[in-house]
Amino acid sequence: MTEPRNPGMSSMPQTAPVHTDSTSPAVEMDPVEYTLRKRLPRKLPKRRNDVYVNMKTEFRAQLARCQKLLDGGGHREICVHGLGLAINRAINIALQLQASSQGALQLAANTSTVELVDDLEPEDPDEAGEPMTRTRNNSAIHIKVFYPDPQ
Amino acid sequence: MFPGCGVLSGQNQYLTRDAVRPHPGLEVNGPIQMENGGTPGTCPVYHDQTYSNAGQQAVVYNVSSPLKPTPLPVPPPALKLGQEGFKKVCRTEEDSPCPFPGLASGVLEMRVKEGSKIRNLMGFAMTRMQGETGVSGGGVSGGGLRQVVFTGSGRAVTKTITCAEIMKRKVGSLHQLTKLQYKVVKEVWESSEGGTSEMTVHRTVPSISVLLSKDPLDPQEPGYQPPETLSALWDEREGIESATQAACKRPLGPLPYSGFPHCKRVCLGEGVSVHPPH
Repeated sequence: MTEPRNPGMSSMPQTAPVHTDSTSPAVEMDPVEYTLRKRLPRKLPKRRNDVYVNMKTEFRAQLARCQKLLDGGGHREICVHGLGLAINRAINIALQLQASSQGALQLAANTSTVELVDDLEPEDPDEAGEPMTRTRNNSAIHIKVFYPDPQ
Repeated sequence: MFPGCGVLSGQNQYLTRDAVRPHPGLEVNGPIQMENGGTPGTCPVYHDQTYSNAGQQAVVYNVSSPLKPTPLPVPPPALKLGQEGFKKVCRTEEDSPCPFPGLASGVLEMRVKEGSKIRNLMGFAMTRMQGETGVSGGGVSGGGLRQVVFTGSGRAVTKTITCAEIMKRKVGSLHQLTKLQYKVVKEVWESSEGGTSEMTVHRTVPSISVLLSKDPLDPQEPGYQPPETLSALWDEREGIESATQAACKRPLGPLPYSGFPHCKRVCLGEGVSVHPPH
């Protein structure tokens, strides 16, 4: 859904190396005023056992959802994802799941960098400001919560 | 309990893991002697704001009562000590077992705090890892350190991951091992109404430890990430499973993480089995 709005970005090869500090050119904000509009994080996969943690939903509800997937959902493993501020909550959920399973569950955490795009829209359309985009990076965590295979 | 506690105010601590701990299992790396790695065995005590993260638990004991280890799973109701006229006097992170049991001694440990500046942390760690001559001093090997551990808890978790991500990007070809655990934080609260009442709160906060190593690590270990998965973490799996789009149950609306017409699958577990070219 972000694609039509952003043809330039979507054609970017996905394997492009991620640079934190160097890709975003120093944007001159003056004299035109801009509205900073944060786009949603771009496409991410969603299986039934993927849980994307956010900061809007109540913690308990998200924990219960994960618990339900593991207990009643028949999944032997789920993936809990968190981006930015929600990393903390994702870790918390994973650790809570592990603690309440009496050690039956294991955690495998991976970290990654997610590239985010901000739109800069000029406040006043009469002025010469052009819509711009800026990219920045944020950290993310992906925790696999799973029952280890009996060996 | 903690002899020689120093009272700091949220500054960075660069410590080397002291060598007294036994190290069963593989020694991935020989011990590296560091000349100014901080004081081993200090415990950081610093004043801090109240953590108000949901899901964090706190158990209150009176000072006279024996301090027991906090039972984890049952979340007691959140305590609002700050609103009841209590003031936090001191905050101590209790020692928790090292999440990497086979780790060699002398590995640089970066303790990321809430107030740590990333440029300070990275400036220090990068110098050590790159081992630029003259900076490391004392005749340490020219190649720099082989391993570094970033640890952080509570609100510093995000910063910890960011540091690790930056280092992976800058150094390249680093093997990563990520471990999560709860860390017990002891807080002493004092009544601000002049009373003598004092309370000790044992709070558990989530903490993360990220080991970055130039040498290969055990790929079977949960939480292992092979080098150069920066962008591949998502992409390669999308290629494999892009055919299965039926897994998408929810309507594609303005939900975070789903604002894209294709609903592709990913599997994080597959990366674990990738063996390093070694």
